[in-house]
Parts: sequence; C-alpha cells; structure tokens
Amino acid sequence: MQSLAPLTILIAEDSAADRMLLSTIVRRQGHEVLTAANGAEAVDAFREQRPQLVLMDAMMPVMDGFEAARQIKLLAGETLVPIIFLTSLTESEALARCLEAGGDDFLAKPYNPVILAAKINAMDRLRRLQATVLQQRDLIAKHHDYLLNEQRVAKAVFDKVAHSGCLNAPNIRYLQSPYALFNGDLLLAAFTPAGDMHVLLGDFTGHGLPAAVGAMPLAEVFYGMTAKGYGLAETLREMNAKLKRILPVDMFCCATLLSLSFQRRSVEVWNGGMPDGYLHVIATGERKRLKARHLPLGVLSPQTFDDRTEVFPMAVGDRVFLLSDGVIDTCDSHEQLFGVDRLQQVFAANRQPDLLFEEIEQALRDFGGQARDDVSMVEVSLLEAAQLSPPALVYSDSGQSCPLDWSVSFEFRAATLKRFNPLPYLLQLLLEVHGLRAQSGALHSVLAELYSNALEHGVLGLDSSLKRDSSGFARYYLQRNERLEALQDGYVRVHLQVVPEGEGGRLIVRVEDSGIGFDVDRVLERPLDGIRLSGRGISLIRQLSRNASWSDDGRSARVEFLWEALA
Amino acid sequence: MADEHLDRNVLSALQEVMEQDYPELLDTFLRDSEERLLLLKKAGDAAQLVETAHSFKGSSSNMGAVRLAELCGDLERRAKQESPEVIGNLVEKIEAEFAIVRVLYGAEKQRSLAGLSSHSTF
Amino acid sequence: MSVISEVSKDGQKLTISIKGRFDFAKHQEFRESYEDKALSAVVVDLKDATYLDSSALGMLLLLRDHAGGDDSDIRVVNSSSDVRKILAISNFDKLFDIS
Repeated sequence: MQSLAPLTILIAEDSAADRMLLSTIVRRQGHEVLTAANGAEAVDAFREQRPQLVLMDAMMPVMDGFEAARQIKLLAGETLVPIIFLTSLTESEALARCLEAGGDDFLAKPYNPVILAAKINAMDRLRRLQATVLQQRDLIAKHHDYLLNEQRVAKAVFDKVAHSGCLNAPNIRYLQSPYALFNGDLLLAAFTPAGDMHVLLGDFTGHGLPAAVGAMPLAEVFYGMTAKGYGLAETLREMNAKLKRILPVDMFCCATLLSLSFQRRSVEVWNGGMPDGYLHVIATGERKRLKARHLPLGVLSPQTFDDRTEVFPMAVGDRVFLLSDGVIDTCDSHEQLFGVDRLQQVFAANRQPDLLFEEIEQALRDFGGQARDDVSMVEVSLLEAAQLSPPALVYSDSGQSCPLDWSVSFEFRAATLKRFNPLPYLLQLLLEVHGLRAQSGALHSVLAELYSNALEHGVLGLDSSLKRDSSGFARYYLQRNERLEALQDGYVRVHLQVVPEGEGGRLIVRVEDSGIGFDVDRVLERPLDGIRLSGRGISLIRQLSRNASWSDDGRSARVEFLWEALA
Repeated sequence: MADEHLDRNVLSALQEVMEQDYPELLDTFLRDSEERLLLLKKAGDAAQLVETAHSFKGSSSNMGAVRLAELCGDLERRAKQESPEVIGNLVEKIEAEFAIVRVLYGAEKQRSLAGLSSHSTF
Repeated sequence: MSVISEVSKDGQKLTISIKGRFDFAKHQEFRESYEDKALSAVVVDLKDATYLDSSALGMLLLLRDHAGGDDSDIRVVNSSSDVRKILAISNFDKLFDIS
C-alpha cells in the first residue's frame, strides 16, 4: 500500500454490497469515505463536502453516473476532481461514454484493491499537478500585472523626458505602436532654432525595460543638442559617446538620423544599422535607397566613431521614408518573412504618395502576418518653409538684465574647423541679448549660412555650382569631407558687436575667411529669387538680415540685425 | 462443486479486505440480490431488465459468484431481442443459481464466524 | 552541443562553431566557450548557423571586447548569404573580418 496524504473520496454506487466493499477497501488505504446510492445523492454530497476524488458507478437510478459526473465537473470549475467510473461495461462505446462524460479513468468489476490504489494515486498526482498549475498561473498573472505597471510608469517618465517633439508637424506622418518603446523602437523629431528639422528613428537591442531605458538619455541628447542648433554630426558623436559609456557592451542602438533643411532644400542622412530608408523624388518617381553605412550607436569608441553624413537635394513634395525592421520581419503562419521585396512591390504599385502608409499597412494585413509592436514607419516631406512654424524658444532667465554694449572676436583655425561647430556657442551668446530673441530663427539661419559659406567656399574652396544637380550634390559633400579631413591651414574669423541704439539696439556680425573670395558683384546682380540649389545662400542672407554687404573680394561678409525697444 | 459457483480466490481476498466485516458484506449482498431477483421477475420492459441484470452482474462478480455473474451477463445481452418465454427461462436459471449461491455463502459466513471467533482468543 | 569550441595546438587560436539558430538561447554557452581563455585570435564558424539576430551581434561584441577590443583579431567565416546580409546592414564588417 503506497503512502499518500489521506483524501476524502466520494463513492457513488447503488449496490449496497459493492458500496460496502469499496468503502472498506478505500478506508483501509487510509482515506476518508463519503457514500451515495445514486447520482443525485452524489451531486449533493459533492456540493456539500467537496471531496477530492470520486468513484462513480456508471449505472445508477434517479440520476445515472454520467449525468452526475457532468454536474460534479461543472461544480468543480477549474479545480481538477478526478472521477473514476466503476463499471462492468465492456463495450468500447460504453467506455468511451465514460470518458466523454468527463471521467478521468475507470475501474472494472470485480474490484481489484491493488489496481484501485494505483489509480487513486495516479489521479491524486494529477489533481495536485493541476492545483500547482493554477497556483502558478495566478502568481504569473500577478507578476505580469506588476510588470505592466512598471512599464506604464517607465513610459510615463519617458514621455515627460522625451515628449513628442515635433512629430505632429504637418510634414511628418508616422505609425508606431504605443508600446514600441518596449521593443526598443524610438522615434524623435525636433526643430532646430534655424527652422531645420531633425528626425531620429532608432531600434535598441533587446526587449522590455532594458531596451527602453537607453532611450531616455538618447532622447535627452537629441532634443538638447537640436534645440541649441547643433548639427547632425555633433549630435551623433554625443549620442554615440553617451550610449557607449552607459550601455553594456552587447547593447547598442541602430538608428537613422535625418536633418531636413527647408531653406536649403536638402536632407542630410546618417544610417547606422537600420534597414534601407527611401528618398522619394516625386519628379522622377525614383526612390533612392538610404543604406546603412555605419555601425549602430554605442558600439564604437568616440575616437573611432564615424560621423560622416550623406546629403541629397530635395524638391518641395519629395519625401523620406524610414521604417524599422519590424515591418520586414513580420512573419506569416508559415514563418515566411514579409521581406524587402514585398515592400518594393508596394512601392512600385503606389500611385499616390499620400496613400503609401495605408498601402503598406494593407499589404502587411494581406500577408497575414502576426501584428507586432515594433512596426514603426515615418515619412517626412519637404514643404515650403512658410508652411511650417517651429515653436518659439523658451528662455530660462528672468529677462531683467542683459548685456547691451559689447563686442567679441573669434578666430577658428584648421584643427578647430575640422571638429568643432562654433555656432551653438555664438548663438547662445547672442541670445543673451533679449532684443534679439524674437529674431532667433533668422539669426540662426543667417549665421549658419555665413559660417558654412566661409568654411566650405572660403577655406575649403568648394565650388557651389556643383550643387546644381543631385549627383553634383553628392560629389560636393564627398569633397567637403575629404578636404576637411585634410585641412592644415586656414581660418574663419567671427566678429560680433552689440551696441545700443535709441530704445533698442543693433547687432553687427562680420565673418571673414582665408579663402580666395568670389565675384561679389556678379552674384549680387542676380535678383532676389526663390531658393536655388546652388549659390552661396546669398539670397537668404539678404532676405533675413539688414544691410548685408561683402568686401575684401568676398572674403568678408557683414550683416546687421536691429531691434526696437521691448514692450 | 463450490468452485464452479464461487471463486475461492475472490472470497479470500474479500475476507482479507473486510476482516471482521466480512459476514456483514455477505449478508448485504444476499439482501441486495433478493431485491434484484424480485425486480427481474417483475420487470416491466426490456430496458429495466437490462439495467437490473447489469447491476446484478456487477455485484456478483465482485463477490466471486462467477456462474451467477455469467448468467446475468447473458440476460443483459439478450433481454432486448428474446421472447418473453426465453427471458422467463433465463430468469429462472438465475434464480436457481442464486439459490445455490445463497447456501454456499451461508456456509461461508458460518465458517468465517467460527474462524474469527477462534482467532479472537489469541 | 550547439556551440563547439576548439583551441589550436599552439593554444593561440580559438575556433567557435555555431550550429542552428545563433540567438539569445546560446548566450551562456557562447560566453563559456571563450571566457576562461586569454586569446588573441578567434574564428567564429557559422557554416551550420541558420539564423542570426541582434542578440548574436551583441554576443560578437562581447567576444570582441574580451579579445582585446580594437586590438582583437576576430574572423567570422562561412556565413550564409542571409547571415551576411544581416552583418552587412549592421556594418559589422567594419569590426570583424567577415567571409
């Protein structure tokens, strides 16, 4: 006789002798016995006493064993109460009935006490297993609730840190699951002070909180630097350094970064480890692939990090489309991937660019893929600069005192020009002057133009007419990187002078470079037309500032900004 | 002759399990069986015959009354298709067998009581 | 064993072969195959590897870090075309010798 914790066993059997025999056998095995002489009594006994196991005669008056078994199973609910049918039925159909009625086993007459004991043991093991399963299920459900709550909290914190930036700008369209963050998918967008737009689509390794946690410092760097007017390269260097420092060795963030300039009608791209992005040129219908040319963020040390970007021209209406690999990796029930080819098919079939998102979503649905939380897509269009309104900058000081009468000069030489962008510092300095704050957009744009002219056309000697078509564009920026890399001599000087004037004031900016200059008169003769791909942005400078003039054969540019008294 | 009607092995197993309740078990069976026999003789329809025969078969086999169990099994199988005459015949056979079995169980009971009482002096 | 490691006779080169899916399930085995060894040259043989995901990329980075980071010499050989595609998109050929 095996030792087993004593159970309460219900014996439902209409034959008194059999009932007596069975009760004795079961009691001798150490269990407590309840008896019932028919199905109805059995159900009542179960309801009142809740035995752990039932021995049920199949044929009984009033209510037979099958019906009683059904009712008892119903009463038991999720808990497993094994029912062993007692039967001298030998037809297989009758046996099948036993199991169908919810019986777990049967015992044939004449009763064999050894077999009965074995069956009771086996059923009890099952019963305890089921109880354990339910217990663990409840525990898991509770933990799962905790986890969901943790994620909710993390997401709330993240949303405050990262906010949505300018993802709601009219030129951005995006699709992202609310829990994309917990698959490592990140989408950020922000305006620079000059009115350019930076966009980041990222994909952290891992899942859950570890994947989400890296997003916060990254977002902070992205938003902070973009707001200060830093370019893509510097922002990338900082983000890479930060992630390299804080993330474990095996964690990294694949990312594509864009810098769209509505004024210059161009997009600057850096792709580290993400699937191809696509630049859709409406005029030709071509979709240029923006391939990953870099390692993901957080892998390389600051010394070896490659911040080189590619620049492409864009016309009004052109759009850049980025997607995370959740789209491509969507699987159907046969474990087939949606894949790049199918995506290309959707592109090829697309007739109205505005419907691209819907068409991709439909294609994913038609493919029968499992919906995933990490399907992220973003489409950024180039609109007329006037159609967008970047938010006003917010200043942290009280606005009571500001420097009104000062001047400063800088000279940036070769080594500095290679790695350092002085614009954010210069602009921060100038924005200390309250009167200039209302014009900060124009200030950023003009200074950026002046500086890039001085650096690229002046010091590096790049020919601006190269930028007249898209292949020229590419060559231009390639040359820019090469020449900057190789730069040994040269300088850019920046002189700033702020003087009070009446109730307001005046800012005088002079930028000089060590280049060969250009034919100022010829360029100035051109009418102040709209925007052209090439040219030194002279139109822009003249439109946004006052009294723009060039001297010293074009090596020196001078502009002014004026402001009235503040209200 | 007893072995045709009663399986000795079953009986000794029963005695081992029931111990001092063995006589009571035998009495209970005999009482039960008499009721069943009455039901068989009075039975209204084939379904009831089948049910009763089935139940009787079950207890009989539990008690080691092998021939009785066999006869009940027969009746159970054939009750739906045979004529009332044939059925009446089968019931008579069961009754006859039970009469024998009753006597044998009676003896068994006496034997066990004697055995038990002699045991109890130790 | 789905991660098999073999040290060359002179003890200088370690070859790690991956069989089946190269994913997070192999994390511990992979690490154990190199962590108690001081190495300079490692070869990761992906001949029987059917699939590679981002956690495998992370594992390769850990290996590289252990083997000396920028001074390490790690070769990833016998990659199938699917595996190579993944390594190409992530630009890991800039860190590892891939063939």
